[in-house]
Amino acid sequence: MLNQFYRKYWRESFQDWLFIVGREARRVFRDEGALLFFIFLPLFYPVLYSLIYTTETIKQVPVAVVDDSRTNLSREYLRKVDATRDVRIVSVCANMEEAKELVRRREAYGIIFVPSGFKNDIVAHRQSRVHIFCDMSGLLYYKAILTANTDVSLTMNAHIKAERAGNFTAEQDKMTQQPIAYETVSIYNPQTGMASFILPAVLILILQQSLLLGVGLLAGTTREKNTLRELIPVEHHHNGLLRIVFGKAFVYLTIYVVQSVYCLGIIPRVFALPQIGNPLTLAFFLLPFLLSVVFFAMTLSALIRERENVILILVFTSLILLFISGISWPSAVVPKFWKMLSYIFPSTFGINGFVRINTMGADLLSVRKEWDALWLLTAFYFITCCISFRVRILRARAKTYNAILEKRHEKTVGAH
Amino acid sequence: MLFESKLLRYLRVQFYRGTGIVGKSVRQAIMTARLFRREFIRMAERPVYWFVMVFAPLVCYAFFVTLMKTGLPQDLPIGLVDLDNTTTSRSIARNLDAMQQSHITQRFANITDARRAMQRGEIYAFFYIPRGTTHKANRQEQPTISCYINYAYLIAGSLTYRDMRMMSELASGAAARKVLYAKGAGERQAMAFLQPIVVETHAINNPWLNYSVYLNNTLLPGMLILLISMLTAYGIGTEIKDGEAHEWLTMAGGSIRRALLVKLVPQFVIFWLMGALYVFLLYGYLQFPCHCGIPVMLLNMTLLVVASQGLGVLLFAILPSLRMSMSVCALWGVLGFSMSGMSYPVLAMHPAVQGLSVLFPLRHYFLLYVNCALNGFPLQYAWTNVLALLLFSLVPHFFLGRLKYSLLNYTYVP
Repeated sequence: MLNQFYRKYWRESFQDWLFIVGREARRVFRDEGALLFFIFLPLFYPVLYSLIYTTETIKQVPVAVVDDSRTNLSREYLRKVDATRDVRIVSVCANMEEAKELVRRREAYGIIFVPSGFKNDIVAHRQSRVHIFCDMSGLLYYKAILTANTDVSLTMNAHIKAERAGNFTAEQDKMTQQPIAYETVSIYNPQTGMASFILPAVLILILQQSLLLGVGLLAGTTREKNTLRELIPVEHHHNGLLRIVFGKAFVYLTIYVVQSVYCLGIIPRVFALPQIGNPLTLAFFLLPFLLSVVFFAMTLSALIRERENVILILVFTSLILLFISGISWPSAVVPKFWKMLSYIFPSTFGINGFVRINTMGADLLSVRKEWDALWLLTAFYFITCCISFRVRILRARAKTYNAILEKRHEKTVGAH
Repeated sequence: MLFESKLLRYLRVQFYRGTGIVGKSVRQAIMTARLFRREFIRMAERPVYWFVMVFAPLVCYAFFVTLMKTGLPQDLPIGLVDLDNTTTSRSIARNLDAMQQSHITQRFANITDARRAMQRGEIYAFFYIPRGTTHKANRQEQPTISCYINYAYLIAGSLTYRDMRMMSELASGAAARKVLYAKGAGERQAMAFLQPIVVETHAINNPWLNYSVYLNNTLLPGMLILLISMLTAYGIGTEIKDGEAHEWLTMAGGSIRRALLVKLVPQFVIFWLMGALYVFLLYGYLQFPCHCGIPVMLLNMTLLVVASQGLGVLLFAILPSLRMSMSVCALWGVLGFSMSGMSYPVLAMHPAVQGLSVLFPLRHYFLLYVNCALNGFPLQYAWTNVLALLLFSLVPHFFLGRLKYSLLNYTYVP
């Protein structure tokens, strides 16, 4: 007897779940707005961003030169600077005023000034100076000009030192130039590129934001179309809370598993971003990320009344979420308050975990903290989602009940 | 006689015409006042207006300004793998720790441990001093020390790189200086030998390399552009959505120009005030470089607000669906941050993308800010950008007919 009851219960739940899945999937694919966010945004935004940053780094920054020394040494210095990858000399100016004019017209982004005593000082064994002036509108200009000049000055210094020392052997020269040699190894982003740095974070953020927008938009539509302006209709398929929550979540999750493969698997490959992670580790990591985002989105969606409001409210947070995650702005210096706030967004952990697994080849143990946090968020948002849906169901029922009562009341009043 | 009556008639006609004009303008004034009242009621009824106009900008200002209040990140955690463990290696480590941007938080027994810590995100870089470094240096055998920098975190990586490279140079220099002192050279002599050519860097107008100056001057106005253009499209689109577009245009006497003007003026006033707030916050309170004076930046900010409203109107006129126009506004606004060239120069972008940067108001505002506030050049060096921002606000005028048509004929598609 009891067995039969359970069997009936399970069969009914499964049928309801299947019904809700089908309904939700149809709604997603019939609503152009939802399609825009679920399909087109994750499809095209990564390509756009990749195109912007795909050159990775700035080369050949135009600079102006004022050479007051006009000696073979100053010319050698400038020739070597011109030959670097970072900098291109666009003009040799007669004086500083002329060079400044070039900067004002944005034809040059920096000035290299070689003072008149440049060679004299070197010959007289005094320290000689080269002045560089950088336009600070972009730090990459500054970095490029500085790197080029530092590198050239170091090589020329080494040369001068070796000449002066009057050594006998090449080995001695090496020691004079640099008693302790050093090498800098840039790992995980060997070209120190902008795309390899910012895109992984942006990709995760695109996944989260588009999901939030899409789910919010759908919820807004449902409430606008519903006669009682409620999120969940009152009918026999929408009885069990878990069936509704799991049914909707299943549809979103299925779409986003596909989108994740595209955004996080194919896009990095096509645009040659660093991708040294183990795909299996990544899949394990993305599971709680997607789940927490789905439940987060569903929780938020219970608060949305009008479909377009969701765009107004959510879009401006994207940049904040990027900065708060600790990728572009080092997390070590993010103020405590904002750091605490960042913990409520799955993207914070998602971005950090993804960057470490995908870009830095970390294993699951190394992102344990993020993984745990994401599961915690999943549990938390699952509960909040259930609570808010339960509230919505109860409200919808109360409203329906009241509507029926009112109708009856009208009838009786009409009969009298 | 005849002349007199002609004159009288002329005067009478002029008088009536005059009263007619007065009457017309009074009628128009009343119409405009009614439209304003309608707009205020709409704005009062929808909290989302105030969320976007007041709350969101304030949150952004508060967030970005407090986030970067250190200006240049300091004491970033780095690691040390010191297998040499001599006085020399320890002194190198101590000096590195004392540098402004780096702070040695962990010491590791080997490279693998350090790499793991890096993968856990605990350190941004580590310094590796192999066994026998001091020994080799003393025997004049040129040992090699290495710095490993994680550029997956580009800003943190670049900052620690500077310190590490400096330290490596100093380590080398210290060893050589010892030899020179031993040979009896004075300090100036020694320095002239060690570093014959010195590069003196002058970071014009931001000598502190303050990231807050570098980013906030563009991030905050960028946020405003995003919010303004979205809200403009929202304001017009909801008229269609609520089925009130007809009523709106009728109240404006069928003039789309008047209807739109009345709709946009209240938003303009509030956004302008929010814009003025960031101008005073950045250049007044935080004392960011502003060589042109605050009034010029207020002017630039005004141009920015008007241009973003123009962008919103234009996009709605082209795509007269609330959802599409708002989504494109959002896309435009968010892409603007990248396309402005503030973090990644336009010069370095893919050639196919470079030309598109002129289509983003933030790009022009960024160049105006760099020209006026940061560098203090006269406005004429950026006249094209002023013109571009004006164009953003003027171009929608050519689309007003289309906008009116779609307002009257389109129905809301969810």
